[in-house]
Amino acid sequence: MSNQLRIALWALGAPVSVGLIGLLISAMPLIDSNFFFTWGYYLEVVTTGLLTGVLYSLVALGFVLIFKASGVFNFSQGAMVLFAALFFVGFMDKWGLHPALAFLLTAGVMILLAMLIERVVLRPLVNQPAIILFMATIGITYFLDGLGQTIWGSDVFTLDIGLPKDPMFLMEGTFEGGVMVNQFDIVAAVAAGAMVIVLAFLFQYTRIGRALRAVADDHQAALSVGIPLKTIWAIVWSVAGIVGLVAGVMWGSKLGVQFSLALVALKALPVLILGGFTSVPGAIVGGLIIGAGEKIAEIFFGGYIGGGIEDWFAYMLAMVFLLFRPQGLFGEKIIERV
Amino acid sequence: MSQAEASPAGPAPGEVLLKVDNISLSFGGVRALTNISFDVMKGEIRAIIGPNGAGKSSMLNVINGFYHPQEGTITYKGETRRKMKPHQAARTGIARTFQNIALFKGMSALENIMTGRNTVMAHNPFTAAVYLGPAKRSEIHHREVCERIIDFLEIEAIRKTPVGRLPYGLQKRVELGRALAAEPEMLLLDEPMAGMNLEEKEDMCRFILDVNEEFGTTMVLIEHDMGVVMDISDRVVVLDYGRKLADGPPDQVRNDPDVIDAYLGVAHD
Amino acid sequence: MIYREAGQFKTSYARDGGLYPIRQDRYGLIVLLLVAVFAVPMMSEYWLVTIFLPFLVMAVAALGLNILTGYAGQLSLGTGGFMACGAYAAYKLATAFPDLNIVLVFLGAGLVSALVGILFGIPSLRIKGFYLAVATLAAQFFILWLLNKVPWFVNYSPSGVISAPPRAIFGDIYVTGATATPEAKYLFALAVAALLALAAKNLTRCAIGRSWMAIRDMDIAAEIIGIKPMATKLGAFAISSFYCGIAGAMWAFIYTSSVEANAFEISRSFQVLFMVIIGGLGSILGSFLGAAFIVLLPILLKNAPEMVGLSIPVDVIAHIEFMIFGALIIFFLIVEPHGLARLWQIGKEKLRLWPFPY
Repeated sequence: MSNQLRIALWALGAPVSVGLIGLLISAMPLIDSNFFFTWGYYLEVVTTGLLTGVLYSLVALGFVLIFKASGVFNFSQGAMVLFAALFFVGFMDKWGLHPALAFLLTAGVMILLAMLIERVVLRPLVNQPAIILFMATIGITYFLDGLGQTIWGSDVFTLDIGLPKDPMFLMEGTFEGGVMVNQFDIVAAVAAGAMVIVLAFLFQYTRIGRALRAVADDHQAALSVGIPLKTIWAIVWSVAGIVGLVAGVMWGSKLGVQFSLALVALKALPVLILGGFTSVPGAIVGGLIIGAGEKIAEIFFGGYIGGGIEDWFAYMLAMVFLLFRPQGLFGEKIIERV
Repeated sequence: MSQAEASPAGPAPGEVLLKVDNISLSFGGVRALTNISFDVMKGEIRAIIGPNGAGKSSMLNVINGFYHPQEGTITYKGETRRKMKPHQAARTGIARTFQNIALFKGMSALENIMTGRNTVMAHNPFTAAVYLGPAKRSEIHHREVCERIIDFLEIEAIRKTPVGRLPYGLQKRVELGRALAAEPEMLLLDEPMAGMNLEEKEDMCRFILDVNEEFGTTMVLIEHDMGVVMDISDRVVVLDYGRKLADGPPDQVRNDPDVIDAYLGVAHD
Repeated sequence: MIYREAGQFKTSYARDGGLYPIRQDRYGLIVLLLVAVFAVPMMSEYWLVTIFLPFLVMAVAALGLNILTGYAGQLSLGTGGFMACGAYAAYKLATAFPDLNIVLVFLGAGLVSALVGILFGIPSLRIKGFYLAVATLAAQFFILWLLNKVPWFVNYSPSGVISAPPRAIFGDIYVTGATATPEAKYLFALAVAALLALAAKNLTRCAIGRSWMAIRDMDIAAEIIGIKPMATKLGAFAISSFYCGIAGAMWAFIYTSSVEANAFEISRSFQVLFMVIIGGLGSILGSFLGAAFIVLLPILLKNAPEMVGLSIPVDVIAHIEFMIFGALIIFFLIVEPHGLARLWQIGKEKLRLWPFPY
């Protein structure tokens, strides 16, 4: 299937499936007369979900970058989000820096961190089985969580970088009351979108991008044509760190910077299962599906079973998905050889 | 090994153990095998040769159920099968060694060979947890069988060594031992002599011929060393680009013009 | 000079396959057990309750995870969920059948967890390594949510806390609940842990254990030589969850006596994983060493600054603890992936040759 055709299919299929799910739910009042459903409300839920999903995508993107370039499944991406957000908010609040300066400084910290991780963790573990590297990143997770909070404390910080927070109403003509959307979420979505485009460009058209893809395919072959593996890894982890920073800033302004941020970021894992571990578009689509799916499930059906199903919905969805398509939506089917 | 009594030693002409018929296998758009047919007689040593990428390993993967061909049938011991999982194939008496050594690196040579007996060992977690009684008796019985294989392959000294520490030649031997432990009727050997020096090759040839003669085990063998192939095999199949080029006794195959073309190249004008 | 195996000849495969082929090891273990049974209960209540009980409980959980991760190579982040499963199953069994022997309650709790483990292990048939880790996260979050939301599991107690009912063995020796003496609890926990360790050792040294390790080391080759990947992986999942379930029941019934589901949240899963990594992947002894290490380290960290006259706020200590754990994990993975158990083994080998190193 050509790429254009695939994109067209998705562009057509996504709204159709949103509509179909809406139709299904709109039939619910037939079963339960207390069930509240209007199309305007439904679309509002979907939109909110999609916009949260963008943030999941952003974290998942960091995972995909590292996985593609080094084959490391980086469990610490969530911790990097928290770590970056803590530094950002610490520079702003405790040192009184301008947001832009704080952003640059934090980016510097993340690059430093990436170099340290490459030197201290990845280099000694080169050629180890993937599962060992995965467990090492769990170690990194604990270390970063501890370090960030030792430096900046474990209070809940509010992060305000002057983004608009007022709700706005879309399509007031079409639906009664319109669809309420938070302006902030839109800004976050646009920022995430810009990030994705920049990364896609970086991957496809630059010299570093080509080197990255070569490394992703085969470490040893890449080394043998003179690609500096260590530099590449440091670069990828830096980029992932900066992606984490953006996610941290966005998420921090939404929820406040606190430890639970690291747990929310764990939801990027089911996103990856849906999207496939090596696919940038997969990370984005997966994030959107999970974001919208868990909002719909929570708001329309959560009440029946006590609420709070957002905690596990994403994981269960991913697990069910695994049974049918283990390689993910966009992942490639692996031909195993012996 | 008990199958020595079960099946008469030496080739029994005319009895077909395995027959592959019109096998075609492709991955996506890539054709790995096209219309391959050949048969393997009971007790013979059958070689599959061909240039790299000819589809030899794929053919073995098809035989032991790891790849599922899109077309064609496999008849094994008179029964036709289309789709089968590798572990089921193993239970019908097909054992295998691998091109790139596939030993279990975390275990000793003895444990690796014992693992080969997995298909005939009981797996009751309750008796195993208590260990005394049935589990212990079974462990000791199978240990005895494995020790005989260890004797046969002359690897007594390394039985408790973790296989990762062994040199290449010995690893290949342990792998052969693991395959033999299953008391197979048919043994698939994927380049058993690759990367060996002359002495090691001679040892390996001796083991293969001994197993074939003593236990009547049927062998399907992939090998690049033409000297070895011509010496020890009864019949040879030649593959090239996933197609069958020739099939017959070594002497006939050696003089086949197509085979000479494939190996030495042909002058196109 | 003392630790030698010279002169001990093994004349049968049975002797060679024994648990402790070397005589000194056998005696060492007997001495250790004697100390554990007779000397340890003499210690103060503080030592028994804050160190030995959590150590034994967590060692059982670590055994469970080590079977799955260390032996069968399937990574799980849902240990806490399976422990919670065992704790609540034991509670439901004990309250529904007040006359049921506590040993049977524990076994039942283990079996329930094993069933749940199989259910969540099913995706592992299609996926490997870290994909599975994500699937087990589903178990972790879903089980905890379910236990928190469904009041039936806590017998409709409004606080959501389950209190272990007092139960006795041999007629009148109470081993669970708030009224049992620490000595009785300790000895009971010791017996459970020792028996489970023995069973784990036996499982891992016979055909089942070899098929787990084969799947771990090279799953494709394992399948081709005839190991059923499905049955093997699910078996490992079931047995591992059985152990974790019993550990959860021990936690609720012996260690704390009353517990809520949040005691088994995801940080508990990581705690057990750390024990397994630091103690040694694929080692029974390692599970105990790792559990001892992880139980002792926070106590040490809490008390060490006071001893040198420093006062560090509690939350800072908690964060430093995080950092130390993280750093230790990385350290062990790099330097000695087989953990403390391997260091112990190396020590023994050195001892064998001492004082002549060649």
